[in-house]
Amino acid sequence: MSRHHRKTAVRWLSTLVAFVAVALMLFPIYAIVVASFESTVTIFSTHFHFFPYHPTLANYKTVVLGTQSGPAASVTTNGNQLGHVLTSLEIALATALLTLVISVPAAYALAKYRMRVTVVFIGALLLAQIVPSIVLATSLFAVLLKVGMVNTLPGVILADCTYAVPFGILVLRAFLFALPNEVMHSARVDGASEWQTFRMIVLPLARSAIVTVAVFAFLAGWGDFIFALTTLNGASFEPITLGIYSFLGNYQANWGAVMAAGVVALVPAAVLLVIAQRYIATGLTAGAVKG
Amino acid sequence: MKQAMSSRTTQGGEAGSGLPKAPAAGRLARRRGPFSRLSGAHKQQLAGWLFLTPAIAYVLFAFATPIVYNIALSFERDSLSTIGSIGAPWAGLSNYTTMFHDQIATSAIVHTLLFTVGSLAGQFIIGLSLALLFSNRFPGRTVARSLVIVPWLVPLIVTGVIFRFMFQQEGGAANQVLMDIGLIHSPIDWLGTTSYALLTVTLANIWLGVPFFTLLLYSALQEVPEEVKEAAMIDGANSWQRLRLVTIPMILPVIEITFILGFVFTVKVFDLVIGMTGGGPANATQLISTWSYTLGFQEFNFGEAAALNNVLLVAALVCAPLYLLLSRDQLRRSSGVGR
Repeated sequence: MSRHHRKTAVRWLSTLVAFVAVALMLFPIYAIVVASFESTVTIFSTHFHFFPYHPTLANYKTVVLGTQSGPAASVTTNGNQLGHVLTSLEIALATALLTLVISVPAAYALAKYRMRVTVVFIGALLLAQIVPSIVLATSLFAVLLKVGMVNTLPGVILADCTYAVPFGILVLRAFLFALPNEVMHSARVDGASEWQTFRMIVLPLARSAIVTVAVFAFLAGWGDFIFALTTLNGASFEPITLGIYSFLGNYQANWGAVMAAGVVALVPAAVLLVIAQRYIATGLTAGAVKG
Repeated sequence: MKQAMSSRTTQGGEAGSGLPKAPAAGRLARRRGPFSRLSGAHKQQLAGWLFLTPAIAYVLFAFATPIVYNIALSFERDSLSTIGSIGAPWAGLSNYTTMFHDQIATSAIVHTLLFTVGSLAGQFIIGLSLALLFSNRFPGRTVARSLVIVPWLVPLIVTGVIFRFMFQQEGGAANQVLMDIGLIHSPIDWLGTTSYALLTVTLANIWLGVPFFTLLLYSALQEVPEEVKEAAMIDGANSWQRLRLVTIPMILPVIEITFILGFVFTVKVFDLVIGMTGGGPANATQLISTWSYTLGFQEFNFGEAAALNNVLLVAALVCAPLYLLLSRDQLRRSSGVGR
């Protein structure tokens, strides 16, 4: 075989191996999507169906209209997962927003102002990334209880930001640090105040890093389960992650509904993967710590 | 990575330009506005502090307070009625002694260790293989690389549900495949048997962590210069030798940071196990995180939960010195950061 032919063969072999690897990685997603259209009876039958068997929309009806009774239905005001989706959206958006409000100015200060506290604070943030969520959950529950914020949206949002704030500040600071100082300097020479420089010069320049952090914070808020579980243990609303858990917790788990709710919970991730893939990849390689 | 950092050092950051900048900035600043009487340097100090205030307040509220409170809790006898107020009865070390005599707690520590080591080993091997694969040029590479990210985007509780479904005894995909290819003759109760459950949970965690390892190692491999690999090839090294003696040593810093971050977020996995097994069967998949949750939020034994939490915190912080060392570029003001 000539050298050229060998190279071509290696290429196509790589494609084949990559295809198999990707298929294996995506198979669990495929499995839940197929199962979400099957009845609980089919899901529990002795045979696993690789292809749609008796597709039905019943599970999605249960999830959207809330025809199923059980903890999930009794806990939610409107008794359906649509309410869960809205709650999740609110939590995710608010988490993203609050994360940005806290981290963008802080990252700017840490990157561009000469302050003694910088090293200490960055060290603290690096350590904060390490702290396990369950450690925070137990005592945040106590803290939130003390300030009367258990079972409130702001409470769970404040808790959810623990995923994204340290990450956000560190990523944004790295980005802002690389901005040449001349940009800010010339704004100041032109008479801009510190705040104006920040708002009109720095923010637009940092757009891509800001989007990365926002996407990451949104996904963290959307996917959060542990803080929802611990801080919303008697609330009149619950996010979709908690809704899935409630479906599971029934004496007879409604597997069909669990699957459909799981698929619904995948939607934002899928959408973001399509429209913001670049930012997701950046966030992941920037040392994202999840969970 | 390193190269990119050092090149930024020269252009980025005030620190490189030394101190005497402040007076100049002071002269240029306009003499008006609420802080007009402050010199430029002071004004900047004040602005810096104002920009930093929300973050400091948040870190104090969401990290410092809970950690301190957790330490306090672990020395108190707490119940649901006292958890919200300070000053529960002092318990001394009794929460810790109870915990270390609690068989479920000690086995949870062992499970967490096995789970973490198994996950990291699997994630590294698969992640490195995929990263090497993606370093070849082949048709469909970009699409494949972006699809590999997907597992990382799945909410952990959903991952738990999916794997619970795939590994159920009757009608699970795993048993179906193994039986179809003739590896097993009767279905295995993956999640209902104490000997298999932890392994199965670890497999699920490997799946969700592979994207992280793949992407980090892939971006590190991109930085290995072609010439180095070619030189090794000319010297007669085969591909395994090239990998072991050239490529891996060159990407070692990234491998280290990947392992540390991987450790940090494997040691605290919670949702996945709650979704898959809830810690069962017979506590066979009980991790520190899940047992601490059960102790605190179901048995309202907040004292012992806090003691167990502190064990987890110490375990997670074990790698902190190494982590800080590897992140020292972020800590050193004068050098560039970013990766």
